[in-house]
Amino acid sequence: MFNKTLIIVIGLTISAFGQAETVPINGTVQSRCIISTDTVGVYGNPNSYTLTTTLSDGGVPAVTRFDVTLADAYYATITAPSEFSSSPSLPDVVTWTGDTEVQTVSNATTMGAYETNKIEYGMTDKYDLTATGSTWFKTSSLATMGGSKAYPGGSYTALVLAECIAQ
Amino acid sequence: MRMVILCLMMLTSYEVGAHEMTPTYPKLERSHVRGVYKSTLQIFNKRKDVEYYEIGVFDKKFKPIPFVTSYKVIHLKYLGHMTFDVYIREKDKRKAFYVCSRSKLRTESITKAAISSRICSKFK
Repeated sequence: MFNKTLIIVIGLTISAFGQAETVPINGTVQSRCIISTDTVGVYGNPNSYTLTTTLSDGGVPAVTRFDVTLADAYYATITAPSEFSSSPSLPDVVTWTGDTEVQTVSNATTMGAYETNKIEYGMTDKYDLTATGSTWFKTSSLATMGGSKAYPGGSYTALVLAECIAQ
Repeated sequence: MRMVILCLMMLTSYEVGAHEMTPTYPKLERSHVRGVYKSTLQIFNKRKDVEYYEIGVFDKKFKPIPFVTSYKVIHLKYLGHMTFDVYIREKDKRKAFYVCSRSKLRTESITKAAISSRICSKFK
């Protein structure tokens, strides 16, 4: 009798230890906008008084990618730089020009009209993200030193502001 | 050919940095403090060049609204997730329209056009 009980207890203990444990991996799917820095822009210096992201002048335009998982939920606004966030002391006023355009879209059928439907005000371009998918925006920038004075030697950084704003 | 280019761009894009904030439409709910409302958001940093994000609450015209959170500038390492609460007074609840996170960039010794990202969710 004692042996039988002992065997049952041992059996139950072993089975308890032998149980597999499950480790949950939780996740939620929800609408979102993701801003990715695809290409950080680089200023070329074709002459002493110009900094430009134009490829032929040694620059690289900044490319930003927007991924949207809900249609008609976000605006993308992209503002080209209008000042340096860091630079050496400058000898004159800098004149800024800049523009943003759609470089590529993941679905040309639903996103093909983004560029024609954009709203421009100043250095800012506003796009209505009416479809789900990815859009690549290319921003070019030109900074010309006043009086054709030379840019002092040093490093210069200007910021492209990429915003994804819920509608 | 277009598909190949698109696939290449998408593949290379996995290496680039991304900034993400959810939900798109957060709810303002009563907090444990009387007269104060709370909303919970998540932020994810996939930008190697960014370690700090600034939180802001704004009205419809993007004028700042007073709010409280644990840190207005969040330190978030690469691939880091963070859940944070935003507290707003009841009298500001109607005015509060957007809650935004903006990347803060470090000064570097390269002449470049850097990208500052800002994502704004809209209060329901």
